Amino acid sequence: MNSSVESIVPFNQFIDSAQGDHPHGNRGDWLSEIKEKGRIEFYKLGWPSPKFESWRYTNLNKLAKTQFFLPQDIELAELPYQDILPVDAPKIALVNGKFNRELSDLSTISEGILVNNFQEMSDEQRALFSLENPTTLPKEGLPVKALNDAILSDVLFIEIRPGWQSDVPLHIVSIGCGDHVGFSSKIFVSAGENCRLDIVESHAGEHGSTYFSSCVSNIDIKAGARLGHYKLQNDTNTSTHLALTQTSIEADAVYDNFVMSVGGILSRNEVRSFIAASGVDCCVNGAYLGTSNQHIDNTTFIEHAAEGSKSREVYKGVLADHAKGVFQGKIFVHPEAQKTDGYQMNRALLLSDKAEIDSKPELEIYADDVRCSHGATVGELEEEHLFYLKARGINAESARRLLVEAYIGEVIDEIQSQSIREALSKLASDLLKKKLFERSNER
Amino acid sequence: MSILSIENLHANVGETEILRGINLKIEPGEVHAVMGPNGSGKSTLSYVLAGRDGYSVTGGSVEFKDKDLLELEADERANEGVFLAFQYPVEVPGVTGMTFLREAYNSRLRYEGKDEADAMEFLKLVRSKAKDLNMSDDMLKRPVNVGFSGGEKKRNEILQMAVLEPKLAILDETDSGLDIDALRLVADGVNALRTSERSMLIITHYQRLLDYIEPDHVHVLAHGQIQRSGGKELALELEANGYAEFDDKV
Repeated sequence: MNSSVESIVPFNQFIDSAQGDHPHGNRGDWLSEIKEKGRIEFYKLGWPSPKFESWRYTNLNKLAKTQFFLPQDIELAELPYQDILPVDAPKIALVNGKFNRELSDLSTISEGILVNNFQEMSDEQRALFSLENPTTLPKEGLPVKALNDAILSDVLFIEIRPGWQSDVPLHIVSIGCGDHVGFSSKIFVSAGENCRLDIVESHAGEHGSTYFSSCVSNIDIKAGARLGHYKLQNDTNTSTHLALTQTSIEADAVYDNFVMSVGGILSRNEVRSFIAASGVDCCVNGAYLGTSNQHIDNTTFIEHAAEGSKSREVYKGVLADHAKGVFQGKIFVHPEAQKTDGYQMNRALLLSDKAEIDSKPELEIYADDVRCSHGATVGELEEEHLFYLKARGINAESARRLLVEAYIGEVIDEIQSQSIREALSKLASDLLKKKLFERSNER
Repeated sequence: MSILSIENLHANVGETEILRGINLKIEPGEVHAVMGPNGSGKSTLSYVLAGRDGYSVTGGSVEFKDKDLLELEADERANEGVFLAFQYPVEVPGVTGMTFLREAYNSRLRYEGKDEADAMEFLKLVRSKAKDLNMSDDMLKRPVNVGFSGGEKKRNEILQMAVLEPKLAILDETDSGLDIDALRLVADGVNALRTSERSMLIITHYQRLLDYIEPDHVHVLAHGQIQRSGGKELALELEANGYAEFDDKV
């Protein structure tokens, strides 16, 4: 419409520059096509604005006005191990969105799991790719997807063979590095019938880097499969993280999702789960920890489209300083989804009177025989608890740390995989110490 | 040397004066009972001694082992050896009993400039003390007091006291909400902790608890002052006559 105005937006200049970045290899043209389609779509839709209901509390104005650049080929010596989840697992390393073979460790990957990047994808996998765009995605979600396409430089395709069951997780490590670089990553997971696997994502950055990271994951869980999907968003404190996870779940499958958001100046994690059949057990949980001026948005959508499935959602957050949290959670129950059992809860702990949480739990139910409940709480540390601990000799700072750790620990306990639960609980305790407590001693 | 020496203690809750000149001396190994009607200032006295925020001392002094107790933070008082068994033990979601006890125990060791306790040794110590109080391992694994019955909560207080081995234990209405069996169990636990060194201040409305934990001295607190002091027979007299005679005195 008014493309002259659009092109003045610095971020759009970046999107335009991405079009000229032709990837090498036999699938290069295919990727360029996706990028071009994404760019056109994004300009047509425009930036998500507060006019959209689901973008009321998260404003991308500042992002649109920031100039980003395409990542150059950077040699990263090693992964920032202290900032990613400490799990013993094969690793797929993405540096600025691109698969990096040197930093990956796929030597121990089991034979039932196939990992391809865009150059290695089969025609079937490409066909699946073109199907991406489930009807469940509402208008609000489209700009994020279009933006992700427009600056795409690689695609990761993970296929778990039917019946393949493994106790060893698969770890995707996405690292941003550079000064004002922008990149996207796109991950496809196809979990075959009756398979079982835990997939872990760690998002972090090289120390001192500032970047924009767009992540879109498409997950397809076939009947009887069990997929654990655990994400740590621990980007550098000047970076922006915009993520969209779409999962479609078939009969009697289990999806156990957890998102821990601690990094970035602005982050949004949108998790959309589509329950397509009965007997599904879908868990969408998360924790967030915000300090300084961080803005952390968790938006979830659970759609029950078939009878007799279960969903459970618990989010807990701790916000200090001027940090702002957003929680939007919606459970949508179709008329045919009788006997649905849905539960949703968001709890936030505010450690300063300048911290803020906008919480919007929603139920939209068109079936009459369902059990759905939701709730939200906001609170502070209770004087009664603090005094009880102090009366036993525990000093004020240790008492606060114990109570905050316990608060977050309760939601980490929701994670079904024991090894991930333990790894995340340890990391959370270190992060709490570092972000909330040890800094006061530095002053 | 007295363990505790309270002189002319005045304290407010908000704008209201609750303690109006308390005088009390406790020697090592002595058990003192403070009895009084509701609203006499009994719980305020225990909170002031433990150092809770919101209770302001407006006059007088409290010495604990020759230290100015009122100068110390609540956690420092605990580490010096003051223990308050709560009337309403607090539920602490997410913090297991074992973690709570270990943090408390190690806090004191650190305060004394000692190394932290060996984790296995400490676990053994807690388990044996818990067994004496008929508390299961499961109760130590659960978050502190969450979902505990009234009796379990009070036993948990006594367990903490047994582990932390205070020099002065203040028992605030420890008998409230207990049936006779639970009361006996708790009282046995307290009696087992009586030594010639350890002093206790038992705060209670009813004489009942004193049948099980025999005090050396009994004081009647009313209108923020100690109105009368005597031996254990004073408790029986109060049981027979009630607090009526102190209600008139303002």
